[in-house]
Amino acid sequence: MAEVLKANDPKNREDFLDAIAKKANRPRHELKNDPLKLLNDLPETTLADKTPAELLDLAKKNSELIHVDFKTVKADQLAANLTKFIEEKEIKSLMLPSFAADKWADFEILDWKDELELEHLYFWDEANGRDNLINADKSDAAIGFADYLLAESGTITAATVKEQGRGFHFLPTHYLAIVPQSKILPRMRQAIDRYDEALKQDKLKTSNINFISGPSNSGDIEMVLIVGVHGPLDMTYVVIEDR
Amino acid sequence: MGLKTSNLTFDERVKKAKQDKFMQAAVGKAQDAQFEKRTRAREELGNWNGWRDLGEQIRQHVIKYLPDYLEEFSANIEKNGGHVYFAKTDVDATNYIKQVAKEKQVKKVVKSKSMVTTEIDLDKELLKLPGLSLMETDLAEFILQEDNWDEPTHIVFPTLHKNRDQVREVFQKIGYTGDNDPEHMGRFARKYLRQYFMEADLGITGCNFAIADNGMINLVTNEGNADLTMALPKTQIVVMGMERIVPSLKEAEVLDNLLCRSAVGQKLTSYCTFSAGKLADELDGPEDFHVVILDNGRSNALNTAFEPILQCIRCGACLNVCPVYRQIGGQGYGSIYPGPMGKVLSPVLDGGYENFGELPYACSLCGACSETCPVKIPLHELILEHRKVEMNKLHLDHSLNNVIFKTISVGTKTPILFKGALLGEHLALKPFSNKKENSVENLYPEGKVDKVPKIAPSLIHGWVDVRDLAEPPKVKENFRHWYDRHQKEKRGEING
Ligand code: SF4
Repeated sequence: MAEVLKANDPKNREDFLDAIAKKANRPRHELKNDPLKLLNDLPETTLADKTPAELLDLAKKNSELIHVDFKTVKADQLAANLTKFIEEKEIKSLMLPSFAADKWADFEILDWKDELELEHLYFWDEANGRDNLINADKSDAAIGFADYLLAESGTITAATVKEQGRGFHFLPTHYLAIVPQSKILPRMRQAIDRYDEALKQDKLKTSNINFISGPSNSGDIEMVLIVGVHGPLDMTYVVIEDR
Repeated sequence: MGLKTSNLTFDERVKKAKQDKFMQAAVGKAQDAQFEKRTRAREELGNWNGWRDLGEQIRQHVIKYLPDYLEEFSANIEKNGGHVYFAKTDVDATNYIKQVAKEKQVKKVVKSKSMVTTEIDLDKELLKLPGLSLMETDLAEFILQEDNWDEPTHIVFPTLHKNRDQVREVFQKIGYTGDNDPEHMGRFARKYLRQYFMEADLGITGCNFAIADNGMINLVTNEGNADLTMALPKTQIVVMGMERIVPSLKEAEVLDNLLCRSAVGQKLTSYCTFSAGKLADELDGPEDFHVVILDNGRSNALNTAFEPILQCIRCGACLNVCPVYRQIGGQGYGSIYPGPMGKVLSPVLDGGYENFGELPYACSLCGACSETCPVKIPLHELILEHRKVEMNKLHLDHSLNNVIFKTISVGTKTPILFKGALLGEHLALKPFSNKKENSVENLYPEGKVDKVPKIAPSLIHGWVDVRDLAEPPKVKENFRHWYDRHQKEKRGEING
C-alpha cells in the first residue's frame, strides 16, 4: 500500500462516475431534464386529516404499543411529574440539556430545575466538551426536550444542538422526553418537511436528526424481544396539554 | 468473510442445512411470525400498493441517474467538511479504510451492523493492523464475532440459526456466568460493549440511504449501537454501496416506511437517524467524517436485465417468504446475501456463475418474493433470467426447456387439453402416492416413491427427501371439498 489514496479527489470521483455512466450506457448530467415527480401523494395525505385530539389519542395508542410510558399533563403539573419520575426510577444521577432559562420557564419548570437536589446533576454543556459523553454514560436518566411527536409511530424527534447532543439520547439508562401537544404531527413526513425546510433556509443548523420510537430493543436471540440493548432501558413521553 | 461464505459445494451445504433441525424450525417460526407482523403493519398503513409504486419509482429513478446523484452527494459531503472516497473494488475500499485507521493511529474500532462491510471482508483486513482491535456491536454480529466469526444466516436476523444455549456458550467464553434468558444475556452484552464504546476511537457504520441534497447518512436500527457509533468515536467511516442513494430527506422518508414495515413489521424502528460529521459548535459526533462509496460489481447490473436488483433496500422480506430459504436457511446459499435477493445479486456482484451457478436453480419460481418486495423487484423473473444467461454462457442448450414450457403454455391455454390433463393427472400419479385422499398437508415423508429408489434415484431423491408425490384431487372436487375434509381431519372425525 505504497500509494496514498486520496479522498475528495476529482480524478477519483470522475473516473468512478464516468465508468458507471459508460456501463449504464447513459450520458451524465441528464437529471435536470427529468426531475423526480412522485406518482402519488400518499406520504402527505396519509393521516393528514386528523384533529389535534385524534392525533393525541393516536400518539398515545402507538407509543404504548412500543412500550413507552405515555403521560399527558397540564403545564403546571409538569414539575411534579418530573419529580415523581426521578423518585420512581430511583435516579441518583441525572442529565439535563443546557437550554437557556426562557425555555425552562416556558415549560414552567425553571424553578424545578434550579432547586433540583440529586447526588449528581449533569448538564450537556459547552464547557464539558466531549466529557459530556462520560457524564451521560454515568447518568441514571436523561430528561430532554423533543422537537416533535409523531402520532402514527409513537416517535419523538430531536435535532442535535450544542445544548442537547447525540449521546444525550442514548447513553443514560432511563429517558424522558417532554413535548407540547401542539408539536404532535401525523407522520414522519410532516416532521421531515419541517426539518428539510429549516435546514435549507439555514434556520436550523445541525449535523444529526434523531427519530426515536420507544426504548432500544433487539430480537437477535431466538427472536425474543429484549428491551434496552444499547440505548435506554425504558422511555417516558410527557405531553403538555394545549392551554 | 467476503461475498462467498463457504468452500463447500451447494449439495454439501444443503445436506448440512437439512441436518440442522433447530435452524429449520427457527427459520420456519421466524417466517411465520414475520408474515403476521409484516402483513399487519402494511395493512395498517393502507394503500400498500400505492406505497410500493413510490418505492419502485424512487429507486428506479436514482439508479437511472446514479452518477448525477452521487456527484451531488459527494459535493455536499465535501461542503460539510467530510471526505469522500470512491472505491471500485473491495480492495480499494479496505485499503482506504486501513489508511485512515493508520493515519489516526486507531486502537479500538466499533462497528455497527453493515452487510457491505461483510461483503468486503473489512473486519479481517482491519485486524491485520498491529495494535488494532475491533468490536461488532450489533448484538447478533457480536455473537457471530465471538463465535469465531460464524457466518450470518439472514440479512436482518444474522443469528437466526443459533439457540439461546449456543449463545450462552459463546458468552461464557468472555466471562458470562448467568442463565440462558435472552434478556440477561442482552444485559451482559450491553455492559461489555458499553465499556468498549467509551474507549473507541474509530466508528464504522453502513448506510441505509444517503441523502444527495444535504450529504447526510440515514441509518435505520433497533438497538442503538449505530447511534453510539456515530456519537462517541472521533472518527467515523461510512461504507455504502453506490446504489444506496436518494434525492432528499423526503424520499428517504418513503423508503424508511417501506423498509421498517417490510423488514420487521414495525412502523418505524426504534432509531431512524440522519447524520453527518459534527458541526463546529456541537459537542459530540465525529470530528473526522469519511464516506466510502463502493461499486464492487454492482455496476455489472447496469444496462442488463438485472438492473432492477440495484433497487433492493435489503429489507429481507423476500427471504422471509421463500420456501427454499425455509428449508436450507441462509448458510445453504454460500453467499452473505442469501434468499431470493441473494440469488439474483450474488452472481451479479461476482461477475459470473463460477461460485454461485447453482443458486438460480434453487428456486421453485413461485413468485412469493416478487409479490412481497416493497420496491417491486421482479425477483423470480430475474432468477429465471439468470438461468438463461448462465445456460447461454455455458453454451448449454435450453431447447428442451423451451419445448416443455411451450407445451405447458399450449396445454393450459386450450380448454380441452387442460381438462384432459386434469383427468389424466389423477390416474397417472395414483400408483406413486401413499396418501389415499388429498389433504392440505404438503409433506409426505413416508410416501411410496421414497421406497422405490431404483427409479432414477438421484433425480427423484431430490424431491422425495422432503416430500412425496401427492395424489392429485379428482377433477370433480373443488376447494370446498378440501376445506370440509381438512376441517373433519382437524376435528378427528377422519384420519389425515
Ligand atoms: S429484493 Fe426486495 S424484498 Fe428482497 S431484500 Fe431487497 S427490497 Fe427486500
